[in-house]
Amino acid sequence: MTVILRAENLSKRFGGLKAVDAVELELNDGEILGVIGPNGAGKTTLFSMIAGSIPPTTGRVLLEGNVISGGSPRRAVRAGVVRTHQIVRPFQNLTVLENVMVGAIYGKARPLGARERALEVLDFCSLRDRAPQLPGGLTLAGRKRLELARALATEPRVLLLDEVIAGVNPAEALHMADLIRSVREKRGLSIILIEHVMPAVMRLSDRVIVLDAGKKIAEGKPQQVVKDSRVIAAYLGESASAAASAQPGPAGSPTPTSGAAPASLPTPPANPTPASIPKKGPGGHQ
Amino acid sequence: MKLLPHWVSRPALVALLAALVVGAVLPKVLGLSVYSQNQVTETFLFVAAALAWNWMGGYLGQVSFGHSAMFGLGGFISARLLLALHLPFWLAWIVGGLVAAAYALVWGHPTLRLRGPYFSIATIGVGEATRLVMTYWEDLTGGSSGLSLPITPGLKSELYWWALALMALVIAASYSLRKSTFGLGLLAIKSDVDAAADVGISPTLMQDIVLLLSGFTVGVCGAFYASYQNFIEPGDMFGFDRSISFVLMAVIGGVGTIIGPALGAVVFVMLRQYLIGSYPQLYLGIYGLLLIVVILFEPLGMMGLFFRIARRFGLMRPEVEATLEAKAAVGGGAADPGARQGGAP
Repeated sequence: MTVILRAENLSKRFGGLKAVDAVELELNDGEILGVIGPNGAGKTTLFSMIAGSIPPTTGRVLLEGNVISGGSPRRAVRAGVVRTHQIVRPFQNLTVLENVMVGAIYGKARPLGARERALEVLDFCSLRDRAPQLPGGLTLAGRKRLELARALATEPRVLLLDEVIAGVNPAEALHMADLIRSVREKRGLSIILIEHVMPAVMRLSDRVIVLDAGKKIAEGKPQQVVKDSRVIAAYLGESASAAASAQPGPAGSPTPTSGAAPASLPTPPANPTPASIPKKGPGGHQ
Repeated sequence: MKLLPHWVSRPALVALLAALVVGAVLPKVLGLSVYSQNQVTETFLFVAAALAWNWMGGYLGQVSFGHSAMFGLGGFISARLLLALHLPFWLAWIVGGLVAAAYALVWGHPTLRLRGPYFSIATIGVGEATRLVMTYWEDLTGGSSGLSLPITPGLKSELYWWALALMALVIAASYSLRKSTFGLGLLAIKSDVDAAADVGISPTLMQDIVLLLSGFTVGVCGAFYASYQNFIEPGDMFGFDRSISFVLMAVIGGVGTIIGPALGAVVFVMLRQYLIGSYPQLYLGIYGLLLIVVILFEPLGMMGLFFRIARRFGLMRPEVEATLEAKAAVGGGAADPGARQGGAP
């Protein structure tokens, strides 16, 4: 397998805080890489650096050997790396189709045929019938799919998805998971996925890296990573980790840590938040 | 027919051409008095200026209170060129506009990184600083005694046609900036500058381009105004009321739309003649009041009223109306009609 994207010694310091600390990351061609970690672990900062929104304090990001970090997001998008936002940010003043057209036009600076390409992406994301509407009329799940569609329209090689599943109802979460899989299968993209909904990460990811306090503390197959004592400590605290490591046998799946090891759950991705996110209040836009 | 880009609608083109023909035959058919014809000329001029302001304030959502700087600079540069080099006046206008555009870029490139109110405050500073410098720079502006331009007989009535042509060009440019793929990028920046950057737009570059175009056009308008007035002085050309007048025209008519600022400029010029005549002390205060009333009750001005009527009587398909209104909205997304009803007492 060939490495498509590589982050070398990537760090970001905000004043006295090391948000991301010397993270090394490799993404193989066609792979789905999960990035997990507790709140404040530096996952989104890592994304922002890979996508070019913020310059790294040290280190660099290479896409097929070319440096893409430290410039502007445009540099990353032109090279083929695009991100979505955890809090959806549709252009509220443009229709769903126009939102995606912006990606199609400016992603690779190719205005010709942008409308057709945008419609094709909307089809792919099951948003075609919403094309003439304003994004304010979509459900949260719809707006998350729009966020994905707008990113896909830039015709990337690598897609950075920041919590596209969290917060939507279980049926929509399944739909989104299928969509992410078909992005890889049908469009041949490599994907890095930040996600809090653990069953989704476990099912989707080929490989997972775990961040805690800015550092990469574990890496490997999803089923192995969730048994790592440092990962359990990061999520549940030191005592839980001690209890876990006290368990005999390396392959023992300790029951007290089931919260961190939901890969074995047969259920569809759980939904930690209420299924019906209230539509945004009047005039509210982020 | 593939002569035109796909975003040019045939009816809009026909409407513009029809308006031009009407404008061209109007003075002959009606036998307008010299005074009325001058009024119309001035209206055309300010339609152009208000539309150019609207490229920044309406399309990008960057409300400038400093456009008098470019208006005045264009005026004085072109006046000096006419006096010293006896250039043909159209050439002097273009040079005046180019200098104004360059000046706009000098202050705009750093300040356009600010957004919303912060940018507006910076432009107030730019406008006032420019006015002060220009008042004391007597070699360029003649100081507070101003500059007189040579009067050639018949120039004023000839300027009517030039104003008509200028306005037509600026309307066409407004249409292109709003409807083209470039315009889609501007609307995206207005809505969310960071999200726009994340899909490959360069907000810095695009904002600079728009300010350059806006500064050039307003500079040409200032140069035109100088030729038309025969006498200009810095207090009037660079004054804060000058900047405010561009804001008012766009706001009265409806920011972010194409027709709005043009309508607003017409109302503004007519109203000003009446107000200056009847209430010379009060007229600025009345404008201030008008601004507050419009923003409180109908943020999209006359176009907002039009949208309201269109909604009420079903003149447009609701989704078309909603989309148009969303694109005009100042914050780039207060499309929810409830938001405005909630805001009005």
